[in-house]
Amino acid sequence: MHELALTHEIVAIVCQAAGDRRVHRVTLEVGERSCATPESIAFCFDVIARGTCAEGARLDICRTDGDDLMVTTMEIEEAA
Amino acid sequence: MMCGHCGCGGPDHEHEHEDGTRHSHSHSHAHGHTHTPTTLVELQTRVLAKNDAIAARNRAWFAGREMLAINLVSSPGAGKTTLLERTIRDLHGQYDIGVLEGDQATSLDRDRVAATGAPVIQVNTGTGCHLEADQVARGLNELRPAPRSILLIENVGNLVCPAMFDLGERAKVVILSVTEGDDKPLKYPHMFRAAPLMLINKIDLLPHVDFDVARVTASARDVNPAIAAIGLSARTGEGMQQWYDWLRREWTVATEAAFA
Repeated sequence: MHELALTHEIVAIVCQAAGDRRVHRVTLEVGERSCATPESIAFCFDVIARGTCAEGARLDICRTDGDDLMVTTMEIEEAA
Repeated sequence: MMCGHCGCGGPDHEHEHEDGTRHSHSHSHAHGHTHTPTTLVELQTRVLAKNDAIAARNRAWFAGREMLAINLVSSPGAGKTTLLERTIRDLHGQYDIGVLEGDQATSLDRDRVAATGAPVIQVNTGTGCHLEADQVARGLNELRPAPRSILLIENVGNLVCPAMFDLGERAKVVILSVTEGDDKPLKYPHMFRAAPLMLINKIDLLPHVDFDVARVTASARDVNPAIAAIGLSARTGEGMQQWYDWLRREWTVATEAAFA
């Protein structure tokens, strides 16, 4: 259930870095010991991203064996 | 390492492993979406970075006031509030104790704690299943605890999420009651790994339940070899002195650490 709060934070991190540009893809690393469930984050992401710069963005989640939960990269539209 | 969740199962999916834990993806798209020119941006930002920064600020705030802050976590019904009530009453006159109560709804626990005479603030988390550092920061702003006091934070009853969120406390204390399963540390390892102390509450009920104190202690040490365990009953008072002794040691360290 805390994935909801985590996903809000993920979208906030992405949108802050993206400024006004549209986000096409977000890559996350979810550690085995991070206490977060990738499926739940993926479930929350589409809903929370709606109406933000990350609406419709694709979320790629990679499991790692650490305990971190990180937004590693994003793809944004090129500046006009 | 497999990337089982990226949804890109096509043959063109490539992995580049650089250091074993971090790896980048290059997807050669067989997908049918239109290609807008995009730029790849490296973020490498921890999702909990903001919470942890606020927690660090809380921790510095506590240190500056030579305070001891403890984050009490348990399942619902393990007896956190009863433990708080008894602790405050028994230690009355020895320490100033303030309480920050976290619950999804109601101020029932605040009212119980307030009846002890201790200053208490209720933080309702709404849909949130845990307290976050900024809720504690706002709570502190309202509670204004005294220097050299003890702040007991009663987290939302939940053994999962509160393990992830640092509030700035000196230590998490996990409370387990003997009416729960003695395999809980194995089922919720994150929480037991995060806490240096486990309180086994309601030991007055041991004759009536199938709960093995030795087994729960062994289970907890399987996930956290350094965890200390104290059996007690917040109802009868048995074992409470050991908890107070632990608090006193932590308080002494916390108040002296300010000058270290």
